[in-house]
Amino acid sequence: MKKFNEAHQQLLTLLARLILGGVLIVAGGLKAFVPADAARAVAAYKILPAQLAHNIGYALPWLEIAIGLLLIIGISIRMAAIVAGGIMVIFIAAIISVWSRGLLIDCGCFGGGGAIDPSKAAAVHRTYALEILRDLGLALSALYLYFFPYGLFSVEKLAMTNEEK
Amino acid sequence: MSKQKKATSGGDHFTRWLVIGMVALVVITGVIFSIMSSSTKANESFAALKGYTLGVSIPSSIDVAQGSGLVLNPGAPVQINLWEDPQCPICRSFESSIGAYIDNLVVSKKATVVYHVLSFLGPESIRGANALMCSADEGHFLDFHHAMYVVQPALENSGFYSKDNLLKIGDYIGLKSKSFIDCVTKGSKLDLVKAHEDSMPAFKVSGTPTVFINGKLWQRKSNGFDLNEFRTAVEAG
Repeated sequence: MKKFNEAHQQLLTLLARLILGGVLIVAGGLKAFVPADAARAVAAYKILPAQLAHNIGYALPWLEIAIGLLLIIGISIRMAAIVAGGIMVIFIAAIISVWSRGLLIDCGCFGGGGAIDPSKAAAVHRTYALEILRDLGLALSALYLYFFPYGLFSVEKLAMTNEEK
Repeated sequence: MSKQKKATSGGDHFTRWLVIGMVALVVITGVIFSIMSSSTKANESFAALKGYTLGVSIPSSIDVAQGSGLVLNPGAPVQINLWEDPQCPICRSFESSIGAYIDNLVVSKKATVVYHVLSFLGPESIRGANALMCSADEGHFLDFHHAMYVVQPALENSGFYSKDNLLKIGDYIGLKSKSFIDCVTKGSKLDLVKAHEDSMPAFKVSGTPTVFINGKLWQRKSNGFDLNEFRTAVEAG
């Protein structure tokens, strides 16, 4: 396992960046231009007061896009990975909280979001589980990038190796 | 591994702050853009009320036996009980597809319609419900009810149903008497609003919109609200 990582770390780092960054950009992009929907989606979790939830709904898509771009281009990867990992952990906690309180909402992860018809409870719970798994995978990608931020095709690495010369 | 550790310990602080600054800039610009586009949309909604003319004045009464429901046109052969919240988006879609038909049933005295204005979606629902009760005293519950759903903002509790905006709705549709303004400003109907809200469990209502036709719960079969389906149900009694 360790050997495998040493041999392929640069490629693995690149893959983790592309997956995590790609998902963040798509998720952010789909929400950024429907601000009211994004704000409603956050408010539907009923964790924060409405006004605060709305403002987070406005800000989150842009943060996701910015962090996603940093990861893809390869600038400040470790810092971006910490933020992305933090976001994923918060998402996981939010979904668990919603699930345990018996609320039926669409997570709003990729746009959409809001309350759902009670007759679809089973399907919604399955979706919650899948969402938690997905975010867990993304959080693990972020963790990997924290430990191994430098890989193929990253601006940061190029600049660094130049300095070393 | 050791190489990667070394790389960050010798990291460039200027670059880090530059990156943090850029990210902050993107987020702040995005938030400003989002807030502005949402509030423009909310204000534009008032334009839809331009040229609205008030309908005929319809008296209303409060029936304590029916959870203090607001009764319009009592004594008709058919009775419809409607449970709604001013901020509920699905009530808005109910109103836009079936509202005109219900208004017509009242005006043409074909049905008794009892409105239960709920307010569980938050403080703005309470304010909105109060304003609705005020409009009933002026004889224009149906007008205000219609107008309120026309301008309903996409977001609940976003500050849109303020007293000023509620009065503005009244102003647009021609409801600007002193008694109405006082009633909205002072929240004169808050006790009644609470009575409506508190009557939910007794009538086994747990969501909005809930509709009873002659005391029987209406369960729609189509996905959206279909006027023909509703009309058939009302005519069947």
